Amino acid sequence: MSIIELLQRSELFSGLKPEQIEQIAALGHEVVYNAGDAIIREGDPSDEMYVIRSGMVEVLVSRGVIPDVPGPPQLTPLVRLGQGQFFGEMALVDRGARSATVRCAEDGTVLYLIPRQAFWSLCDDNHHIGYVVMRNVAADLSFKLRHRNLQVRLTGDES
Amino acid sequence: MIYKVSYVVVDKPNLGAIVNLDTPPRVGDRVQLGDGLFEVTEVIDLLPPREDFSYLHVTCRPVQEAT
Repeated sequence: MSIIELLQRSELFSGLKPEQIEQIAALGHEVVYNAGDAIIREGDPSDEMYVIRSGMVEVLVSRGVIPDVPGPPQLTPLVRLGQGQFFGEMALVDRGARSATVRCAEDGTVLYLIPRQAFWSLCDDNHHIGYVVMRNVAADLSFKLRHRNLQVRLTGDES
Repeated sequence: MIYKVSYVVVDKPNLGAIVNLDTPPRVGDRVQLGDGLFEVTEVIDLLPPREDFSYLHVTCRPVQEAT
């Protein structure tokens, strides 16, 4: 699957014309991770988002903040994301610090990294691209929230 | 059509997943989530389809409990 095909099959870019997707594809590059690798860490600055080309990642959040306790924070898994999904998109919306840690869950997971600043510049130049992507980001965040609600309902987990 | 699927495993917090599939999951299918194998017990439309995407929720249970 080419990068163009990957982006065409990602909901993030659903509704864009092929030439617009080509413009987005020109902004980023591929990165490869192995199982256990930290891709982004909760609290870190956010400068890019990722589309999963193949493999699987795991989204985790830390339980509480206890600065006096040495060692890495205890992480709770929230969800796994597979091919065609994207993460780091909240950085596009709020420019805040990373809200969660994302760890690679399968060896050889291939991601497509899109730098935030370059993407914002493209959206500033083409408001239609910006509108469509922001609509899709909102729809995806809504889907993830519905998934989380079902998870609480069916498992009783309120972490 | 691309099927965007939310998987939740009953009584197994933190094992859920979101993936895109080319064919819709069906009750009785088996799916690998993490290190475990699970059986699909329920498939429902989560949202109305939009453009090329269909949005589904799948409930699973561990295969060990099903046998």
